[in-house]
Amino acid sequence: MRLAWAFFKRDATIALSYRVSFVVQFIGKLAVLALFYFLSKTVGDKPLPMLARYGGDFLAFMLIGISLSDCVLVSLTSFATQIRDAQTTGTLEATLMSPVHLPTILLYSSLWDYFMTAVGFVFYLLGGAFLFGVKFHQFHFFAAVALFVLTITSFMGVGILWAGIVLLIKRGDAIRTVGGFVMVIMSGVFFPPSLFPSWMQPISRLIPLTDALEGMRLALLQGYGFYQLSDILIRLTLFATVLMVVGLLGFNWAVRIGKNVGSLTQY
Amino acid sequence: MKPPMETRNSAAPAIIVENVSKVYPRQPLLSFLRDRSYQVGTQALREISFQVREGETVGLLGPNGAGKTTLLKIICSLLYPSSGRVLVHGLDLVKESLKARSMMGLITCEDRSFYWRITGRQNLDFFATLYGIPRKKAAGRIEILLETLGLTYAADRPFHSYSSGMKQKLAIARGLLGDPRVVLYDEPTRSLDPLSTQNIHQWILANRADSPRTAHLIATNQLREAELLCDRVVIINRGVVIAHGTIGEIRQRFRTEQHVVHRIRFRGPRAALPQADFEHGLVEVGEEERDGDFVSIRAYTREGSEGLSAALSSILGNGGVVVECHTEEVAFDEVFCALVQRQYDESHAVAAGAKS
Repeated sequence: MRLAWAFFKRDATIALSYRVSFVVQFIGKLAVLALFYFLSKTVGDKPLPMLARYGGDFLAFMLIGISLSDCVLVSLTSFATQIRDAQTTGTLEATLMSPVHLPTILLYSSLWDYFMTAVGFVFYLLGGAFLFGVKFHQFHFFAAVALFVLTITSFMGVGILWAGIVLLIKRGDAIRTVGGFVMVIMSGVFFPPSLFPSWMQPISRLIPLTDALEGMRLALLQGYGFYQLSDILIRLTLFATVLMVVGLLGFNWAVRIGKNVGSLTQY
Repeated sequence: MKPPMETRNSAAPAIIVENVSKVYPRQPLLSFLRDRSYQVGTQALREISFQVREGETVGLLGPNGAGKTTLLKIICSLLYPSSGRVLVHGLDLVKESLKARSMMGLITCEDRSFYWRITGRQNLDFFATLYGIPRKKAAGRIEILLETLGLTYAADRPFHSYSSGMKQKLAIARGLLGDPRVVLYDEPTRSLDPLSTQNIHQWILANRADSPRTAHLIATNQLREAELLCDRVVIINRGVVIAHGTIGEIRQRFRTEQHVVHRIRFRGPRAALPQADFEHGLVEVGEEERDGDFVSIRAYTREGSEGLSAALSSILGNGGVVVECHTEEVAFDEVFCALVQRQYDESHAVAAGAKS
């Protein structure tokens, strides 16, 4: 725990030392909230039939979509960003010399990002509720927490695998951007996947974010509990387990290659 | 298989480098994804063997591109050797790297290996946690190190406000946080001014005296630094060891193999200037300075030959008067350059032979 706290404290101190940037990120989130609020006004106040399954409120639907996809994108990119930053700033070599496993360093280096992601998630929901009148009448708190944890864990596995790839190929921004964009479109962040042609819907189901969004919307807007969400929770648990194992194996493989070819600390 | 180079020191070996070779392997996938010219098949090290014993300070010397950094990275377990092994207090660096790393401290000249936005103390505190040092013990150790290195006054300033010398001192503090049994230095005084360099040298010497069982391996390009700090040196070039031993031994070996240098100052006509006389062992004569009638020359003679007599006879026999004559100690940088050059010449000769 002390080690985890040391990483968290280090990153918090560094992040808070950039005061303007720290404050502006919340202003940015408020701007996004306002944007979607006015978009929802354009759509109208009446419940949308295509969103009936989730209560019909366009702003609430969007709010959960963007807040959860934000968390997922951080999960995907945080590890790779940490590795890349440590390579370019030169701190990777010093940390690798310490008697700590690299995956542990990687995991703990992302704690601050995860904390801020969770804060951002809550900020979106509370901001939506208190500033723009989004109603979460019947949410199931514990189901939402379980979904959040499983979603983050699934994408943590992908993120760790991605960090391994970045360790070897160094710059993966373009792949990450395209991949993130495709995922956001395919998983139903901005519209329900039921709008896709029938041949695209099974592909959409292969992305854990699709299940995560579906489950989170149902838990927060319709009050679905563990029993009603059991299919989604089981699928997310499987995703989380498989992706985490694949991620860690892939990352260790990348480290071995890096130590063989001498590219571990290059950038 | 070559045995690791023996030393006369009877202390237990702290680092054993045993037949370490490194060939950067071909990685078709990486070459495709990143860079086609990606270090394919480069032989960086070839059967390097040496030991550093407890309490000993060994210098790892070599020109740029000699393989020092590669070797140091292998010893730091940041790179796998292609063959051979490195043991730190008996622990294999590939198989038991975590345990081995807990006994090592790295002092690098790379100031970017710190977190610039946090203070010197916060940096040290973070790295102390990485080394698993208990909180109270860490606080005490940090305080002692900061005080010994004269950094207490700046401990709570952000690292980015430190001067180069202060950054280097903090790097030393970090390297010694875990009270390591093996300290590795990667060019510890590169880019420091002479005063800071002197301070760091004094501090390293003082630390050696305080921790007499700690082994030190210093990779450096500063030959003066090696002369001052190291009990022995290992000189590598093009990935092979070209000389090892104490600096005195290497200098003596070179002197025996090559020549003795005599500096002679005389007054007399131009004809008195001696010429090379191979028969009597006077290998070369170089004129250094001429000031009116006074001439200073350097005479290179074979060890144990009559070369000096030949030079003096030539001066005296041609009407010159010898004002001063002494035998010069061969400068270590001269020995170093000659050894490196000789290895270049030999490898070129081998390559040329192979072509023909």
